[in-house]
Amino acid sequence: MTKYIIKRIGYLILVFFIVSLLMYMLYNLIPSDPARDQLEGMKSSLTPEAYQQMYQNLRKQMGLDDHILIRYARWMGLIPNMEGKFYGLLEGNFGYSQYFKKNVIEVVVSPLKTTIFINIFATILALGITIPLGIYCAVHKGGKIDNFTQVFTIIGYSIPVYIIALVFVFIFAVLLRWFPVSGMGTPGANYTGMKLFLDRLYYFALPLIVMTFGSLGGMTRYVRAAMIDALSMDHIKTARAKGVREKAVIYSHAWRNALLPVVTLIISWFLGIFSGSVIIENTFNINGMGSLYIKGLQNHDYELALAIQMFYTVVSLVGALIMDLSYGIVDPRVHIDK
Amino acid sequence: MKNIKLFGCALSAALILAGCSQTSPAGSDTSSSTPAPESAEPAAETLNQIIYGSTTELSGDLGNAWWTNNASDKLLRSLIDDYDVIVSNQTGEFVENASVCAGIESEENEDGTKTFTVKIKEGLKFNNGDPINAANYVAYALVQYSPAVLEDGAKVSTATLYGSDTYQKGETKELSGIRLIDDYTYSIRINADYVPYYFETTYASLKPLSLKMYSDADLTVKDDGNGAYLEGGELTKDSVDASRFIYDGRISAGPYTLAEYDQAALTAVLKINENYAGNFEGVKPSVETIIIKKANQETMLDELKTGSVDFLSSLTDGNQVDSALDMVEAGGFKTVSYERNGYGKLMFQCDFGPTQFKAVRHAVAYLLDRNDFANTFCAGYGSVVDGPYGLAMWMYQDSKAELAEKLETYAYSLDDAVAELEADGWVLNEKGEPYESGIRYKEVTPEEAGTYQHNVTLADGRILMPLIIEWSSSEGNSVSELLAVMLANGDQTAQAGMKINQNVMSFSDLLNYMYRDASQGEQYGVPTYCMYNLATNFTAAYDQSFNWVTKASNPEEYEMGYNTNFTDDELLNQLSMDMVYSVEAGDDEAYLKLWVDFIDEWNDYLPEVPLYSNVYYDVMNDKIQNLECNSLFDFDQAVVYATVE
Repeated sequence: MTKYIIKRIGYLILVFFIVSLLMYMLYNLIPSDPARDQLEGMKSSLTPEAYQQMYQNLRKQMGLDDHILIRYARWMGLIPNMEGKFYGLLEGNFGYSQYFKKNVIEVVVSPLKTTIFINIFATILALGITIPLGIYCAVHKGGKIDNFTQVFTIIGYSIPVYIIALVFVFIFAVLLRWFPVSGMGTPGANYTGMKLFLDRLYYFALPLIVMTFGSLGGMTRYVRAAMIDALSMDHIKTARAKGVREKAVIYSHAWRNALLPVVTLIISWFLGIFSGSVIIENTFNINGMGSLYIKGLQNHDYELALAIQMFYTVVSLVGALIMDLSYGIVDPRVHIDK
Repeated sequence: MKNIKLFGCALSAALILAGCSQTSPAGSDTSSSTPAPESAEPAAETLNQIIYGSTTELSGDLGNAWWTNNASDKLLRSLIDDYDVIVSNQTGEFVENASVCAGIESEENEDGTKTFTVKIKEGLKFNNGDPINAANYVAYALVQYSPAVLEDGAKVSTATLYGSDTYQKGETKELSGIRLIDDYTYSIRINADYVPYYFETTYASLKPLSLKMYSDADLTVKDDGNGAYLEGGELTKDSVDASRFIYDGRISAGPYTLAEYDQAALTAVLKINENYAGNFEGVKPSVETIIIKKANQETMLDELKTGSVDFLSSLTDGNQVDSALDMVEAGGFKTVSYERNGYGKLMFQCDFGPTQFKAVRHAVAYLLDRNDFANTFCAGYGSVVDGPYGLAMWMYQDSKAELAEKLETYAYSLDDAVAELEADGWVLNEKGEPYESGIRYKEVTPEEAGTYQHNVTLADGRILMPLIIEWSSSEGNSVSELLAVMLANGDQTAQAGMKINQNVMSFSDLLNYMYRDASQGEQYGVPTYCMYNLATNFTAAYDQSFNWVTKASNPEEYEMGYNTNFTDDELLNQLSMDMVYSVEAGDDEAYLKLWVDFIDEWNDYLPEVPLYSNVYYDVMNDKIQNLECNSLFDFDQAVVYATVE
């Protein structure tokens, strides 16, 4: 097991470097000039000479005239930067956000907290609804509730989440006035403690409902299918024949087997709490990781976008490792020592 | 399982309770306040406030424009920092700030430089009660031009201020162009190359700065006769950088003071600055609280409707304006509309391909029904201009009749387009024979032909240029889509013998081609596209100098790409320079004459075709009174006149 984990971590590091090089190259292929972008707003107030001098100084400061591999190595921290120090990604320097004029690490902290906060609730809500519902539908397959759920979930599954968001905003915020249209808190309210928490929850309620509604379809159908498979197994018939209580048959015998394919999905959902929803966060003006990533791209703040991308890469790689390991833990038949 | 069920129930209940507890009382006036949590603030506190919904998010950088921060940051900064000696008024005219300035004197020096001596009023205070004197104004310049600010990535030009280049490089301790004369007087000296200048009074303008924001050390301003300098500590990159992100206890001197900045929600709350002496007309604000928050394009009108925001600025989208006007009709809201100080345009590069010929540029203008275009694009909320001006400019207002006589309107006419083309020699087909149908060709010299990709060389050595215009348009752009329908793919264009090829690309790519920026790739350095569509806005200081430099007269500036139209009109260049650099400040008559000549010449040379100039709509809750913004007088300036009822 230990040997396997060490081997996987070795692969993980190799993949990380390959992905980072590819990502860096891709971002540098985007036709843009960060130096010019920064000076564009001032161009009309500068003389041509002053503009040109500033432009050249800025390019030099940013090291834009060096070869791309040199820039990659500098960004990664494999060679010294313009100030002669080893200070790149490997040394904990995630770059500098040209848009926010701050180090990326400082920019990312607050949106990451927000995204985790909202995603934890969304994940718990979604799992809390989809798992019991999926089990119920499987057990009562073909019943009225099952048929209704099938239709309902396919609708939720088919409608894009931004449409759901706009419809829900209209119904719950504009017509019923139950929730605010967007935002993260009552401006100027100065709440602390429980009041602050409730205020946040009030503002996050509608996006949470939209996120939950949008994710019901897939997971419910997945749990239902896994449960139907499990319920049709021979040992379930045996258990029923032996007179085991129906609840025990469903939850102790069938659900445990149905859990095997579902568990990887559940783990990936929990890993997904780090990644923000671009659409939800933008529609509801939530300052999370998804909206930050889009902001980075829209404002040509590629160091920020790249850092977020690399963060997701690490989360995905580590997540894949955890999933593989957990599969072996959940199902004793699976051996993960090779 | 029971625990999970219980937790699920509790979570759902919490969400529902959170929602229900915020619901406004039935039948309540939705415009009275934002939906507030269970223990809402007292009504009196929340009523006298304006929530400004901005489509641009605050970045949190409260540093100066030296760091080119975004529109919302600029708005916030302007609301908390004021007291500039010179400001622009409601019509965009630069005036002395009566609350601050006790007088300005100017003196021409023997070496051609010019010195402005400014006396400020006594009794001014920062928001924390600290007195403001001339040293605070001088401190602004000493920080602005300091090496530390440059090191922190700021862009500060040293072109105009005497001695600022050596000071910025750290070669001198003193900033020789700035003098601290006494407690309430400072002087500022401008380099000879930049005077006279029509807007030169703006050179004298500084604003107060508290050095407490920039260093823990006890920094003070001194002047021993060689220029002002900082003493008592060192201004470092770190301290300058930190000053940009101070939110609590930020020392400022504007109509409002920063009460709260929520870094998570990117929302700012501003309260009236009790120490504020008034704006340039002595007016003090009466709206107690201003809140700046992000509003989405898609849902911002819903936010206004539900009271989450009170004010939305500069709507231009026809559907949104229609919706806003419907809301006004239903009651509870109102709008203020004004002309944009700028326009959307078709821009030509005039040194290669067919658009190097004036007749072709004219023909393109004749082939587009600009009135129809503006009406369609702006959904009726826009107009057409015939030159590089905005309808709200005083220059336009004062010369409206003269311009109407002088300017060609390029009214839609296929016949006029064809006549211009024929007169210019676009009378051949691809074989060099007289033109009958299809694409027109013109016999050109090798110099005119250049490396344009569509040229044809006949067996007899003649070079023919086809009337094919390569057009660069940015992706996801509704102007481009409409131009494709109304111009590029229009029957009239084909009938005139012209072909316009649309090339869709990202805006960055478009800029690279427009600037011919070979540093981004060799392909960009080659003139490729003759026509681009984009937009431009004008500031209060209408200064077109250097934008029209020619290869013959200013080869260096031309090569730097300052003239992105690559024009060769000496008269246009001369007029654009003379308009600001040959006219004394205050000589409006001379400025206006040159401005009219410039517009007239531009209209004839036609380096760009103005497409539309929007009408902007500010939409607001009707509790707000006297908030009259325009394209030269923004919310931050207008809000001091506003009241909430």
